[in-house]
Amino acid sequence: MDIQYVGEHLQFGRLGNIFIILSFTAAFVSTFAYAFQVYRKKEDPLSWNQIARASFFVHGVSVTGIIVLIYYLIHKHYFEYYYVWQHSNTILPMKYMWACLWEGQEGSFLIWTFWHVVLSIVIILRGKTWEAPVMMVMMMIQVFLASMLLGLEIDHVKIGSNPFILLRNHPDFVNLPFVQMSNYLSKINDGRGLNPLLQNYWMVIHPPTLFLGFASTAIPFAFAMAGLLTGKIREWVKPALPWAFFGVMVLGIGILMGGAWAYEALSFGGFWAWDPVENASLVPWITLVGGAHVMLINKKNGKSLLSTFILCSSTFILILYSTFLTRSGILGETSVHAFTDLGMTGQLILYMAFFTVMTIVLLVWRRKQIVDKGEEDDASSREFWMFIGMLVLVISAIQITITTSVPVINKIFGTKMAPPANVIDFYNSWQVPLAVIICLLITIAQFFKWKKSSMPEIIKKLSVSFIISVVATFIAEYYLRFPRVQHIMLLFTSIWAITANFDYLVRIVKGKIKHSGSSIAHIGIGMILLGALVSNVDKQIISRNMLNVDLGKDFPNNENILLYKGDTLAMGQYYVSYKDKRKEGVNLYYEIEYFKANHSTGRLEKEFSLNPIVQLNERMGNVSEPSTKRFFDKDIYTHITYAELEEDKTESDKAYKDSKTHKINVGDTVVTSNSIFTLEAINKDVNKKDLALNDEDLAVGAKLKIVDINKKTYYVEPVFIIQSGSIFTKEIEIPDLGLKFGFTKVDPETNKFEITVAEKKSNIRDFVIMKAMIFPGINILWIGCILMFIGTWIAVRKRIVESKK
Amino acid sequence: MKKIHIIGIVVIAVALAVIVSTVSESSTYVTFNEAQKNEGRTYHVIGKVNLQKDFIYNPEVNANLFGFFMSDTTGNEIKVLYNGSKPQDFERSEKIVVVGKMDGTEFHASQVLMKCPSKYNGNEQDQEKSLSDSQH
Repeated sequence: MDIQYVGEHLQFGRLGNIFIILSFTAAFVSTFAYAFQVYRKKEDPLSWNQIARASFFVHGVSVTGIIVLIYYLIHKHYFEYYYVWQHSNTILPMKYMWACLWEGQEGSFLIWTFWHVVLSIVIILRGKTWEAPVMMVMMMIQVFLASMLLGLEIDHVKIGSNPFILLRNHPDFVNLPFVQMSNYLSKINDGRGLNPLLQNYWMVIHPPTLFLGFASTAIPFAFAMAGLLTGKIREWVKPALPWAFFGVMVLGIGILMGGAWAYEALSFGGFWAWDPVENASLVPWITLVGGAHVMLINKKNGKSLLSTFILCSSTFILILYSTFLTRSGILGETSVHAFTDLGMTGQLILYMAFFTVMTIVLLVWRRKQIVDKGEEDDASSREFWMFIGMLVLVISAIQITITTSVPVINKIFGTKMAPPANVIDFYNSWQVPLAVIICLLITIAQFFKWKKSSMPEIIKKLSVSFIISVVATFIAEYYLRFPRVQHIMLLFTSIWAITANFDYLVRIVKGKIKHSGSSIAHIGIGMILLGALVSNVDKQIISRNMLNVDLGKDFPNNENILLYKGDTLAMGQYYVSYKDKRKEGVNLYYEIEYFKANHSTGRLEKEFSLNPIVQLNERMGNVSEPSTKRFFDKDIYTHITYAELEEDKTESDKAYKDSKTHKINVGDTVVTSNSIFTLEAINKDVNKKDLALNDEDLAVGAKLKIVDINKKTYYVEPVFIIQSGSIFTKEIEIPDLGLKFGFTKVDPETNKFEITVAEKKSNIRDFVIMKAMIFPGINILWIGCILMFIGTWIAVRKRIVESKK
Repeated sequence: MKKIHIIGIVVIAVALAVIVSTVSESSTYVTFNEAQKNEGRTYHVIGKVNLQKDFIYNPEVNANLFGFFMSDTTGNEIKVLYNGSKPQDFERSEKIVVVGKMDGTEFHASQVLMKCPSKYNGNEQDQEKSLSDSQH
């Protein structure tokens, strides 16, 4: 019997499913129509191009429609849809609703598909003769991406995951008795909500930027494939070049935004941790940078054609590989922020295999035309050093890929390798030397001329910046005192990269904006590396807990300090104090004040205060968010690593801790956490009747005087009782103080009495455990990011203008 | 020999070096028993935290020492001491990985990696639980 469910809004899901099927089939039709357009005979009367464009239009509208619908469903809180229930709730602020859309895998595939549509429109409008072959490849990619949303199950093979699946039809719920009720919807009050880590403004802009970066790597790939398919195996480089630099810019910014998010919202203390998820998008960026540079070489002298094919296609395939790594659940133990498997692993592997095989087959087919003609590059030519630079980038990419792929290697070969014990050090031991070489190459390569240049002239041009950099490095090293040679090397080479490129910009480019792109971008890269180096190597953990005993060599890390509310502790050059906490919505704000000692007055003067947050989230776990004070030359980062949260206390509030026993004489005074008490006298005339005791029972009272911190005095008398051979005590409680007194033993020989004191758990003073770090020079890195963005944008503009000629 | 050939050889050599260094530097996922056989070497151990037993954490005494009991995949339970503050929401972790070495009968961890399934897309059990929560 069918159940008539109440309150559902099924029409949106139906429309959504129509869009999903349309987007898939239209992409399919468009692929073939473009293919027919490419290979059509002259006398063919059918205009395949119009069919292709029309079906692309249907595809684009459908993809946009799906996004709008999901956003609408989230906005309306229609929890009958699993995706809405899974990723949002009613208390979520408007500004984070977009983040719900891409929290799930389906949504992130959608946004990626959407960017392909947007970029394809540019190709259609501007591509001219390239439109058909490039769009054919683009739509082929879209067929695969659109299939990720199909949600079909054929013979237990799952194809895609449908974002419009109803909660009651979802495999996790379909057999629960609860969804058999016609009014089940009225019982769902709220969704699971958005992961608290993602409730951050960076998470609203980072994923779409990154996916635009992902999407823009598809265009050079599509051009390369189009070149191979149509036999225009050299001509594609020029129109694809601006796209390659566009990809470098957008993907680079997307990755750095992720770093900024990690630095601000995640609590590991830094912007880069060589996490597999981060590496997965960094590697294609590195290969794309290499690819864009060999494309420049090729445009200039027609050489290195094979490298352009290999780098453009491997960039795209590595993007697919990164999707596979983060979405198949294969990273398992090695990464904390990967998606779990949605059962689409097979599909992702098929997708990757298809484009890899396609590339290889096409390259083998056209191998004879690709071979370089003419002489070798001269060692004094710019192209030679650019080529070397590309190779260094490839080595860097190989190292990151292999180390990140350890779980994949384990899966294939059944091994049990774990990442190196200190992964970050391991990556750095490879990448720092490679970064040194890269810095040297971006320093010198621009001063070489194409084809051949005179060495004395280059040395003369480089000497000024070299001398400045040596001096600057000496001064910097005097303050920084890096102990390791590789760090000093990177310090010097990154400074030289900045000064030499600045020199080039001023003396050779003479500040002409149009040609300044590469110099500005390279200054940016130099600054990013310099900022990363200084802020990481010279990072100081100022919250070191000096009071602790040495715990042996296994436990060298005393990075957290305990701070009681109201106390002030010395920390580095500061004094810190935990002033208060307040609750606002789901956030607990801690107020940590920083002081500096003023030596002339001998007083502590407040410098600034920071508000690290603990976001309370019952369902997904509490999340702690650091707070950072930004200075011109450094950042001070403060993070609550542990705190007794209010939520934990409500139940245990009334409970007492284990009591403490004090052996004391009459007249002795004992200190508790909030008062002092004195045993004034022993009362042997306890009224036994009041205690319901018989005359033969023994009862002795201890007269206690308690004085609290406000000098308020209390008198209590706990009683020691022996009733028919068994000993017990009548405890007395002082609710105001949260104290409970007992009288448990009389020692006639020493004349000592045992008084027990139990304190309420809530008497423990509120405290936080926090970690504080100084990141010096982090602003160099952020300025570098901006310069890289500007520089690459100028380069993109220049290449667009050139490609039109 | 062309320059390109020399360069090709260099790239292959470096790639090999990367593989060798990755393999040699890599740690291994083991059980506590295996880690005990090679005391002092750093290993990764996967397992579950025993939530029945109390955690050892006295921030008033030492904010940087946290202890708990954990059983590895073979069910062997051992006390783990971690050099750091108690991770936020440790109680919620289901599967954890500890990185460190054995010292006598204790495991000294330098890193504790938690996997909270509920934080990054839930599993079935968790979803049922949260749904029944929302029914109240």
